[in-house]
Amino acid sequence: MDIFSGLLDGFAIALTATNLLFCLLGAIIGTAIGVLPGLGPAATIALLLPITYVIGTPVTAIIMMAGIFYGAMYGGSTTSILLNLPGEAASVVTCIDGYQMAKKGRAGAALGIAAIGSFVAGTLAVVGLTMFAPPLAEFALDFGPPEYFALTTLGLLLAVTLSGGSIIKGLIILLFGLILAMVGLDPISGKIRFTFGSIGLQGGFDFVTLAMGVFGLGEILYNLESTMKTEIVTTKLGKVFPTLGDWADSRWAICRGSVIGFFVGIIPGGGAVISSLASYAIEKKYSQHPEEFGQGAIQGVAGPESANNAASSSSFIPLLTLGIPGNAAIAMIFAALMIQGITPGPFLVAEHPDVFWGVIASMYVGNVMLLVLNLPLVGLWVQMLRVPYGILAPVIVLFTTIGVYSTQNQVFDIYAMLFFAAVGYLMRKLDFDPAPLPLAFVLGPLVERSLRQSLLLSGGDPAIFVSRPISGILMVIFVLLIVGQTIFFLRRKWKRRCCVPVPPETEKSL
Amino acid sequence: MKLREQLTALLTSLAGVWIMSYAWIVLKLGSIHVPDAGFLPFLCGAALAVLGVAWLLALHWTKRKEAPAEKRLWHRPLSSLLLMIAYGWAMETLGYISSTLVFVIAWQQIVEKEKWAKTLSIAVLSTLAMYALFVHLLKVPIPSEFFLR
Repeated sequence: MDIFSGLLDGFAIALTATNLLFCLLGAIIGTAIGVLPGLGPAATIALLLPITYVIGTPVTAIIMMAGIFYGAMYGGSTTSILLNLPGEAASVVTCIDGYQMAKKGRAGAALGIAAIGSFVAGTLAVVGLTMFAPPLAEFALDFGPPEYFALTTLGLLLAVTLSGGSIIKGLIILLFGLILAMVGLDPISGKIRFTFGSIGLQGGFDFVTLAMGVFGLGEILYNLESTMKTEIVTTKLGKVFPTLGDWADSRWAICRGSVIGFFVGIIPGGGAVISSLASYAIEKKYSQHPEEFGQGAIQGVAGPESANNAASSSSFIPLLTLGIPGNAAIAMIFAALMIQGITPGPFLVAEHPDVFWGVIASMYVGNVMLLVLNLPLVGLWVQMLRVPYGILAPVIVLFTTIGVYSTQNQVFDIYAMLFFAAVGYLMRKLDFDPAPLPLAFVLGPLVERSLRQSLLLSGGDPAIFVSRPISGILMVIFVLLIVGQTIFFLRRKWKRRCCVPVPPETEKSL
Repeated sequence: MKLREQLTALLTSLAGVWIMSYAWIVLKLGSIHVPDAGFLPFLCGAALAVLGVAWLLALHWTKRKEAPAEKRLWHRPLSSLLLMIAYGWAMETLGYISSTLVFVIAWQQIVEKEKWAKTLSIAVLSTLAMYALFVHLLKVPIPSEFFLR
């Protein structure tokens, strides 16, 4: 099946009444959680995972999940611009100039250019996804256990190193995730591991309980500690359609943001946050008026918002073609596919073309829906910010509890989820980034299986990982990454000791 | 924060050592030709032990001045977690509807310190909404009511 006919078939699936409805539902939920600070797309998809059990077809479930993910990127800009508070992590840099624009009475223009930039970038990235994904999936058909082991370990390492936090903490969380994935029956030898006599643990931890606990309830518990109150900018939104001058100022920022976002999104661990930061840095560096950045430059909104949308679409490429989720939200979509009995990876396009093309086509439709939802309805989204957290929090708890109970109809899962909630809360208290945890958990079985199969294949010779061309190249990148990070860390330490007294609060451990 | 981090680093190392010994003694490592169930857990345990020590050393070398922290209310997450545990237990014992109603009332009174009128309206509305969504719309089987058994 060629790309064009595949896409046409995809549109035939995406444009059915049910799929359009779930695409719209995903876009609305995504925008809503993007608007609400303190609940990210990963947490929301985690909260909605049990619903995928009751949604009839896999393609419908994934269309809704995808809608939530890229919808959150659109919604995140609203709180950044109006409250100076990012609705989700990828909109952090939008606060800088977006809020300044709002204070100058140009909130409408900022929200408008964010929505239009998001639409253009999101659509361009889906075109890229349409073109790149099928050939990459075909290439990945040649992958054996050594290639998969090299790819998954490199992906996990990249997810830690690119997350921007402490690398040691990231690696600890990664290993914790791998160990959690090993709880229960060993798939090769049949031995029971880490269950301590509990029958409930013999089947291993369920991804839904882990995701809901760490990302859903963990976040709620942490937010409950906060005493911070925020004020919405009270100035009128004004016209949300940018003027010709705004468009002229931001069109190249949108184009650059789209390209940066697309390529950063493909890299595991890259994702929406890094792409928006990179886009902002590039816009400021190459601007003719860099002094305007931080004072309400429209390019400072257009670039990052375009980049984070492009990245959210392109991060589907490693998932759909290699079966490797690059970030926490995509790991939730990976789990949703597994719940539906579909293994993401190179065989997806051949075995489930309806899912592959249906989801891609729905992204074109979803981006149009989001543009329509975001421009005229921005005032409505702002009203949503007035829902008190005191009502929202217990409703989310009720939702997660019945949701996790419904997966297997046993209270044990609720206790498991509460254990993960406590873990997620402590992780935030100790400044651990929880993103590598679901990635390691979903990739853990693949890492272990491919490692042990590779060693069995080679008769115990570890050289198998470097003697085959693809795994060899991936392993070289893996080693270079570790060496590079170590050198970077040591050089920074050495410079600090010898030369400049850097302000202590900016210092970050390895 | 630093003391808390030092303790966590130490616990990480100890957990790593424990995982290594569990993998070696209970699960068995096998050989490099035929790795057994303890092979990867052993490697992960070893890596955790090393990372814990590396973290301790990094903390020792890093001089950090703590930024002034925002005032945080630790008792709210603790009380809400305890409420959630009680809710899990009550769901099976009392049934879904009664436990949900009691849970929301307790949450609004203990965690949010709301007035009774608001508490009761939130509790009734949220319980009805959950019941309508999950039981009627999504057909999720729920634990039956104690008084109706």
